[in-house]
Amino acid sequence: MNKREFLNELERNLRGLPKDDIEGRLSFYSEMIDDIVASGKTEEEAVLELGGIDNVLADIACDTPLKSLVKEKMRPRRKASGLLILILILGFPLWFPLLITAFVLCLVGCLLTWIFVIVAYSIEISFIVSSITCLAAFFMYLASGDNLIILVGLAILLAGVSILFLYVCKYITIFNAKLNKKILLGIKRGLIKGGNRNE
Amino acid sequence: MDAQLKRGVLDVCVLAALKNEDSYGYKIIKDVRPVLSLSESTLYTILKRLEDAKMISVWTKEFEGRLRKYYHITSKGIRRLEEFKEEWKELNSIYLYIVRGSRYE
Repeated sequence: MNKREFLNELERNLRGLPKDDIEGRLSFYSEMIDDIVASGKTEEEAVLELGGIDNVLADIACDTPLKSLVKEKMRPRRKASGLLILILILGFPLWFPLLITAFVLCLVGCLLTWIFVIVAYSIEISFIVSSITCLAAFFMYLASGDNLIILVGLAILLAGVSILFLYVCKYITIFNAKLNKKILLGIKRGLIKGGNRNE
Repeated sequence: MDAQLKRGVLDVCVLAALKNEDSYGYKIIKDVRPVLSLSESTLYTILKRLEDAKMISVWTKEFEGRLRKYYHITSKGIRRLEEFKEEWKELNSIYLYIVRGSRYE
C-alpha cells in the first residue's frame, strides 16, 4: 500500500469524525509518511512503519473517547424545517416505541455479557453452601452415626470442586471484560467509519 | 507501564521533546520512543490537546517542496514542565515510602 492508497483508505474510514479532525489527521499522516520516506525508505515501507492501515484505524478508535463520537453523531447537520418538525410530531406514535425498543435492546445486550459472570458466581456460591451444609449435617448426625463417611466425603468433594470452579469464575470474568472492551472498540470503529453522511 | 500512569507522563514527554528546539511530528516520535512507546495516533491526540491548552503553538515551514508543521513550546508549556518537576518530587517521596515501608518506632 503506497501513500495515496493509505490516505484514501484512511479518509474513507474516518467519516464519523469531525471534519477538521479528519483533515488534521490526514495531513499529519501524510507528513509522517513524507518524513519516513525522506529518511530513505519507500512509501510502502513507511506505511508499514506506521503499523499498516488496520492498526492505525484501531489506534485512532482507541484514542477517541466514545463521548465525543456520540456528540459528533448527534450534531444537527442542518436546521430543522417546519415540515420536518411536523413529520416528527405526527410520527411520534411510530418512532417513540421504536426508540424505546432500541434502548431496551442495547440494555439487554449489555446485561447479556454479564449474565455468564453472574451465573458462574451463583454456581460457585451454591457449591460453597452445599459443602458447608454437608459439614453441618455431619455434626448433626455425629450422635446417631448414620452416613458419616458419605457426608464427610461430600463436604470435601464439594469444597474441592468449589475451589476449582473459582478458577472458572475468574476466567469467565476476564473473558467478559475483554469481550466488553472489544465490543466497545467495535462500536467506536463503526461510529468513526460513519458512512451515510449527507453533506 | 500502567495505562493511567503512562497517559499522565506522555504529555510531559512531548513537551520535553520541544524544550530545547521546535520540532515536527516524526522527530518527536523518534525522540520520545526510546523512553516511552507511543503510536502516531496517540501523538496526534496529545499535540491537539496541548495546542488546545495553549501549551504549544504550531507554525508551518516549507521543507523540500512540501509543508511541514513545527511545534513550539509556549510559556504555559514551560510552566507545565516546571510543575511536573515539583509533582515528581512528591511522587519520589511516595516512591521512597513504598520501597522502604513504615519507619515509625
